[in-house]
Amino acid sequence: MARPSSMHVAVVGAGIVGAAAAHFLAAAGTRVTVLDASGPAAGATGASDGAVSVASKRPGPMMELARHARAFYGQLEAEGVFHGLFHRRSTFLIAQNALEAELVSQHGADLAQAGERVIAVARAELMNRIPGLGEGVTAALEIPDDGHALGYQITSRLLQRSGIVVRRRASVSEIVVRDGHAVGVALAGEILSADAVLVAAGIGSAHLLNLGDILIPRKGQMIVTDRASTGRPAIDGHLMGASYLAAKRGIVLDRSHIGLVIDPLVTGQFLLGGSREDNRSDHRTDAVTVSAILRAALELYPPLGARRVVRTFAGVRTASRDGLPIIGRHPHVDGLVVATGFEGDGICLGPFMGESAARMILDRPLAADLSMLTPSRFARAEACQ
Amino acid sequence: MTDAPILVVGGGPAGASAAATLAEAGLRVLLVEQRDQLGGAIHRQPALGAAHTVHAPARHRRNWAELARRIDAAGSRIELHTGTVFLGVDGDGRHLFDDRATGRVVARTIRAAVIAVGAVEKIHPFEGWDLPGVMTAGGAQVLLKETGVPPTGPTLVAGTGPLLLAVSAQLAKAGNPPVAVLERGRPWLRVNALLQMVGAGQQLAEAASYAATLLSHWVPYRTGTDILSVREDAAGLEVRVRRSGSVHSLRARHLLVHDGIEPNRVGIPIPDPEAAVPVVLAGDGREILGADAAILDGRRAACMILARLGLRLPDAQVEARLKAARNVQAAISNMFRSALPEPTPETLICRCEARRLSDFRSLPDDASAREIRLMGRFGMGVCQGRFCGSTIAALRGEAVPSVIPPRWPLRPVSLAALADLKTDELES
Repeated sequence: MARPSSMHVAVVGAGIVGAAAAHFLAAAGTRVTVLDASGPAAGATGASDGAVSVASKRPGPMMELARHARAFYGQLEAEGVFHGLFHRRSTFLIAQNALEAELVSQHGADLAQAGERVIAVARAELMNRIPGLGEGVTAALEIPDDGHALGYQITSRLLQRSGIVVRRRASVSEIVVRDGHAVGVALAGEILSADAVLVAAGIGSAHLLNLGDILIPRKGQMIVTDRASTGRPAIDGHLMGASYLAAKRGIVLDRSHIGLVIDPLVTGQFLLGGSREDNRSDHRTDAVTVSAILRAALELYPPLGARRVVRTFAGVRTASRDGLPIIGRHPHVDGLVVATGFEGDGICLGPFMGESAARMILDRPLAADLSMLTPSRFARAEACQ
Repeated sequence: MTDAPILVVGGGPAGASAAATLAEAGLRVLLVEQRDQLGGAIHRQPALGAAHTVHAPARHRRNWAELARRIDAAGSRIELHTGTVFLGVDGDGRHLFDDRATGRVVARTIRAAVIAVGAVEKIHPFEGWDLPGVMTAGGAQVLLKETGVPPTGPTLVAGTGPLLLAVSAQLAKAGNPPVAVLERGRPWLRVNALLQMVGAGQQLAEAASYAATLLSHWVPYRTGTDILSVREDAAGLEVRVRRSGSVHSLRARHLLVHDGIEPNRVGIPIPDPEAAVPVVLAGDGREILGADAAILDGRRAACMILARLGLRLPDAQVEARLKAARNVQAAISNMFRSALPEPTPETLICRCEARRLSDFRSLPDDASAREIRLMGRFGMGVCQGRFCGSTIAALRGEAVPSVIPPRWPLRPVSLAALADLKTDELES
């Protein structure tokens, strides 16, 4: 591969992953063009909660990778890149009945097994920490080393620090391939030539890479409340219902279409989420789903009843068929790297995965083993059929 | 669906007129009004139980008496809900209402909708506009109509437009004439516009009566006067004004400001008379044509719905009379047109989120409306951009606020009320 300084890389997608990749490519001296069908953080990155959370991850490689990714946030914070944007914040995994308690306890054991600090908090202490929790809450696990960052702020900072100006409303129609090598991207009336291409376009990656039967859009509806006071979070920690863990672990509970999180924003407002609606890629919100989320949130934390709902919005996560992200070199095309399918974990994993994608393009060794996330796994699965 | 009522949102002159016209044609109407009583801003009634009267032209009193009579005569054809806030239309097409009496959000199936939510008041921001003691002149007028009591202490009225005259005259009649009326424009110099006003006898007579009231109370009317900034100290407000190039300070306890009105369109559903559930706008919420034309415009909207349902043809005479009202409004705008002073970088633009002009200027020049919200936090507060929307549109060089697309909830709504959603849909 050519030296970074003589390379030009086209990054398709200005979400958190594309922005991070572009930032680290530029830092290595590479010329980068970032293209987006809309603009920076216009997709899932700008429509998500800001959980940089290991607590919510599926046991196994995802939990391991989330620990790397969260540590990477800490490193970039310390180096000044994310100064003021990343904060440590506890996650509380909360159970409201015996079945949920069993699930939370199992998840806690898995987290501890992965090396994560897990603290059991009894109801009395919990009520002290977060006064007003619902009657049904018996106990919780605290994951004290989690954090918080807003995807659109991180994206904006990464682009700004590397002086990259995103080409907006630049809808890429195809990847141009010659002799088995990616040599550019096609836009309306233009071919932009490049020595390598990164596709980090969320659900938009599907049509570029023929991943239509592998990538699944999963809509999430969310709610923002007003605030009682300004300038600091209303409660000291991010509350996650067992329903969210169940969804992540692939267990179907009564309300499995809702994975409840109560996210206290630094503005003093609450972000409440969210629904999990497969194969829905619209951005509409509906009163029936929103009211179901609110009822679940009220049951967990009744003081929300005194708040007003200021807005509702929906984001579309991109999930893969097997539930794992897709990051790696294209199995048949040289100079083409793909990074998508981060589902609801893109904010947590984004900077780390973007940096990893940059390393793949520059042919440098990775900081973690990502072999289980390679796009080739689907090619292999299809070959076996 | 044909059993479902026609929704009319807003109980001002346009909404009341639309509701009465539809009911008189034999249709069932669901009329919702967010306040305790019908009337809107122009015909705002004294608070329930209060017995005062606030000076208003006889023609407005007659107009409202006639609309109230027609609403009464419709009887049970009009299902009236006061204290009920229209929250917009959700992604599945549900029309949502915040019923403040029962404390729950209700979804209703409707056959068509007339949205007549009136205007919002504009103010051109200056340093200190958010201080206590500064309020909009229209807001002060509505408060006066409800309570009968003017603000106490020295009061300045400033900005631009005919409303400054009306509010000042009403304050004078209620016992507290303003210290001065500071008009940015120079209406007397707009000779062409004055000539265009010749056909507007009613409006001119109304303005003359206000002017006479101000004269008899020795209230000075200063034209060509800009507000530059306001400071607060122990003695009240110090208001810096500029007139004919020279800057001086005035003192007051209250400053009432007003820079015209514009249709309240922030987040409002997009009109579509051809949709399966047709939506039409009416009154000042559609186009600023004033209180008299709003009654006509309500009728026009009702006729559009009736035509769409195959019940009646549109009324051609209404259109002609609306055109006359449009000419009068154009002449008024022309008469009061003036250049706006450039706000200082420290000037607050979005009060809810405490964002200043310098914060706006630090956003990328090509930032999208969404980035202005997410990164700039403009329009993200509880007013949902109703107040800062037009300022931001002007800063972006746009004619109409595009900051907030159609949305629900249109107003902040109690979380508990929304959690307790009640729908009239059949269980499937």
